[in-house]
Amino acid sequence: MKPLNYAILKHFTKVKEACADDVIEALKGEYGHFKALKKPAVIEAIMTGEANGLLEETRYELDEKGELKVYYRAHEEGAATINKYIPN
Amino acid sequence: MNNTLSSANATAVAEKKKLSSNFFKKGVTVAILSGMFYGLYSAFLTLGMANGVWADWYGVNNAALSAFVITYMLGALGSALNDTISALWCIGIAAFKGKLGDFFRTLKTKPGRVMVFAALLGGPIASTAYVVALQMAGSIVIPITALCPAIGAIMARILFKQKLTPRMLLGIAICFTAALMIGSTSMSADAPPNLLLGICIAFICAFCWGLEGCIAGYGTSMIDYEIGITIRQSTSGLSNLIILVPIMAMLAGNIGLAPSLVVQAVTSGPAIIWFVVSGFFAVFAYSLWYKGNSMCGAALGMACNGAYSFWGPFFCWLVLGVFVGMEGWTLPPIAWAAAIVMAFGILTIATNPLDLFRRKGA
Repeated sequence: MKPLNYAILKHFTKVKEACADDVIEALKGEYGHFKALKKPAVIEAIMTGEANGLLEETRYELDEKGELKVYYRAHEEGAATINKYIPN
Repeated sequence: MNNTLSSANATAVAEKKKLSSNFFKKGVTVAILSGMFYGLYSAFLTLGMANGVWADWYGVNNAALSAFVITYMLGALGSALNDTISALWCIGIAAFKGKLGDFFRTLKTKPGRVMVFAALLGGPIASTAYVVALQMAGSIVIPITALCPAIGAIMARILFKQKLTPRMLLGIAICFTAALMIGSTSMSADAPPNLLLGICIAFICAFCWGLEGCIAGYGTSMIDYEIGITIRQSTSGLSNLIILVPIMAMLAGNIGLAPSLVVQAVTSGPAIIWFVVSGFFAVFAYSLWYKGNSMCGAALGMACNGAYSFWGPFFCWLVLGVFVGMEGWTLPPIAWAAAIVMAFGILTIATNPLDLFRRKGA
């Protein structure tokens, strides 16, 4: 089992793009009991990854409830860095 | 239909702007708070090292400690106790937040080991260099160590390709000038004998702190910052306590001095209570430093944190001067002026100050 923050970043190397809700949904099985698996904390982890060039924003939209969903992806260089530091 | 779509788009754009701006503001707030907590922890650490058994060691000296022990070993011991107690706070906080499992899991990984390396650079190496430089050359070294934001930003440019514009460099230079203004207030006319060597050692300190800030800031882009600080304080506290303090005792010619002084310091009630407080504030001084650096980049994060050269004397004045009533802790007017200069320097790194004077849409 990886630390939660690693699992969040690693998720982006496995999918084309994802938003915070997608990450939470994907990790719920293994990390559901973690207090830190909450939307604000996950958004902050993703945006910190973006600020450090690991992830990049792809698009954003409002969902049916009017909540903002921002999608990110790990570009080639970002994915390489994530995979270098966090192996499978 | 098209109208509904464009109004939804406008809302989405506005929400996205809000999210980005809130993230930026939070990063800057966190980085500024880290400098304030640094000032608070310095003040309470100074208070701890002025009470109980420390008052004797630094004062009457009934224990008959040598000048070497008083100059070098006590500084390392104070730092070791502060960081170890801080590590206990970190472990407690991590346990409360359900992150203790991730702490042990992170330790076994590559970023975890990088964090240990950063902690060794900033903990025993830089902190000891700081104490030794202070003792050798006096407080002239403080503005030199305040060069660490510039070093951190340049290292982040080289190692992690973070951007560094001429405007950011100008801002760093302004912050450094402010630190120099504060440092100038305590420069004494009588030059200490080891001035040059002391200044060289102060550069080692600035280099190690700069490197720690940029490596650990990058590390916390992957590691949760609360886990990062637990690794930092545990590494720094234990390596100081188990390696550095005994080495100092050996150099002083009496290895038995290490456990004896540690036991005396820990059991000195009037002192240890303030170490518990300083250790608590140190948790936030360092964790918010790492978090701020990872949220807004090393240049801006470290410049905001670098305001500690103002917050340090400020909280020492507030805690030791105003609250406890000790003499000699008043803040000279130049320090207040320097604080304004520093705020302007941080603003220059974060944004183009001229934009504030331009009208929106002009």
